Amino acid sequence: MSTVDLRAYRDNPDVQLFPGDERDTLILSMGPQHPSTHGVLRVMLRLDGETVVTAEPEIGYLHTGIEKQAENLFWQQAVTVVDRADYLAPLSNSLCYVLAAEQLLGIENIPARARVLRVMFTELTRIASHLVWLGTHCLDLGAQSIFFYAFEMRERILSIMEFVTGARMHQSWFRIGGLAIDVPVGFLDKMDDFIERFPERLADMRAIVERNVIIVDRLVGVGKVSQEEAIAWGLTGPPLRATGIPYDIRRVHPYSDYESYDFDVPTQTAGDCYARFLVRLAELYQSWRIIKQARDRFPGGPVTIDDRKIVPPAKTEIQHSMEALIHHFKLVSSGFNVPEGHVYQAVESPRGEMGMYVTSAGGNKPWRVRWRPPSFYHTQALKRLAPGNLIADVVAIIGSLDPVFGDVDR
Amino acid sequence: MPESVKPHPERAALVPVVEALANAAGAALLEVVAENDMDEIALRPEGLLAVIDVARRSGFNLLLDIGGTDHHPLQPRFEISYHLTMIPVGNAVGKLEAPRIRLRVFCHGEDPTVPSLTHLWPSADWPEREIFDLFGIRFAGHPDLRRLLNPDDFVGYPLRKDFPLRGLERRFVPGGRAGAVPPVKES
Repeated sequence: MSTVDLRAYRDNPDVQLFPGDERDTLILSMGPQHPSTHGVLRVMLRLDGETVVTAEPEIGYLHTGIEKQAENLFWQQAVTVVDRADYLAPLSNSLCYVLAAEQLLGIENIPARARVLRVMFTELTRIASHLVWLGTHCLDLGAQSIFFYAFEMRERILSIMEFVTGARMHQSWFRIGGLAIDVPVGFLDKMDDFIERFPERLADMRAIVERNVIIVDRLVGVGKVSQEEAIAWGLTGPPLRATGIPYDIRRVHPYSDYESYDFDVPTQTAGDCYARFLVRLAELYQSWRIIKQARDRFPGGPVTIDDRKIVPPAKTEIQHSMEALIHHFKLVSSGFNVPEGHVYQAVESPRGEMGMYVTSAGGNKPWRVRWRPPSFYHTQALKRLAPGNLIADVVAIIGSLDPVFGDVDR
Repeated sequence: MPESVKPHPERAALVPVVEALANAAGAALLEVVAENDMDEIALRPEGLLAVIDVARRSGFNLLLDIGGTDHHPLQPRFEISYHLTMIPVGNAVGKLEAPRIRLRVFCHGEDPTVPSLTHLWPSADWPEREIFDLFGIRFAGHPDLRRLLNPDDFVGYPLRKDFPLRGLERRFVPGGRAGAVPPVKES
């Protein structure tokens, strides 16, 4: 493994960065403000002509210490910071954390309505996230118009989110023990409208990009990775499924009743950028199928468990009941304790396997929330994927891995 | 094999593997527990490479994650958790089972060192650098153990429990070297 020692280079520009290598190579720093890096990433490229010889990604520009902050908040409060890591799929983050905390607490009786809404909204999040990927990835490749199609559709999803949760981006809507609030009146009309419009819009988008000669030429055969290498580099999600392995946490380790939904796990076998492109396009449709099934079963009833030690009572009740007021006061001022233990919970985020290894020391704050960020491993794999390709293809490879740097750096 | 191993109905097939892993750890084995989410083996760092070797030969080919936990003020202070899973390679995959297993490596607070896995999995590079950056745990045999998320001249290990939440006061010093770092008073 060759690494660029930047400190030595800074102190003495004449230092030989790659001793023993006589090729006439050029070091190029791509980023941190390169438009294709989807956040902030710097890749130190070593070029032989236009061909990449080595690539060394540098991360940490968005490091905000979310894991440390979560350790210093009550269990329920930590949902708000956990939300902010993967900012394109905030509800996947919260779902993972909330499921882990519920496992530690031994809560199994989440009401059916809350389960269905959790599935519905994580799938909406997946569609929204994939649409951002589709728009920006094609923008990186030089296609402008698809961006507007994708963002117009994403805007519809964000307005549903805003209508239901009050926030467009960081909803913090999933809570330990259920949901923060029930859906408002008129929600189902909006969902039906979305479910009806989406397939047609998706067909439009696919017609623009799927066999577009420019996109095919830019992506086929670029950034190819075999199954063995994908596993060795820790790739999950669409990059792994693009090599032909149907590894999807929703199927392999189901959570939130995913085993009862009928959907396919799209795979491709080529393992290149185009295969990853096709896998994500196919996933858009599968997520729509899951949303449609969730809409069809949409049960009534409460959205939180009936446990006053976890979920605060309704405001109307607090005005009449002393006991409810005490419960409210206790939950707001000191939260609740979670039994000692540790658990690994994984969900299929739009990017891949997002896991959380949560440790509780028995207190009212998480002792440790360790993330398994899928983008982290995908960005690391640039070291393997970029060499041998042209410098212009690095942009396509980064886009096809769909890293979100809030997720990488946390 | 310790008495604490309870065979889990869905994980019955994994029991001999867990047993083999526990035997490989030898004297470094601390305990074997069947947790609700997966089987786990707790051990001291010197047994890690032997256990990983058996795990790889048993088919655990995907290193899902390496994470660190600081149990300060308890001893052993640091826990490094390895999550492994197995994914069959080839196109004739039927139903993918992908069972998981967890290794918890415990090491003491003074000069914590754990063997590196970078020679087995290239994906171990960054997580090990991240743990070095945030916890100050060294990985013996890592080819390029530098800070990953924080700047190179950062002082301290932020995810240790004795590191203040609000950080250390840092002064800008021309030339890029950090000055003295008195801790910020908690308000």
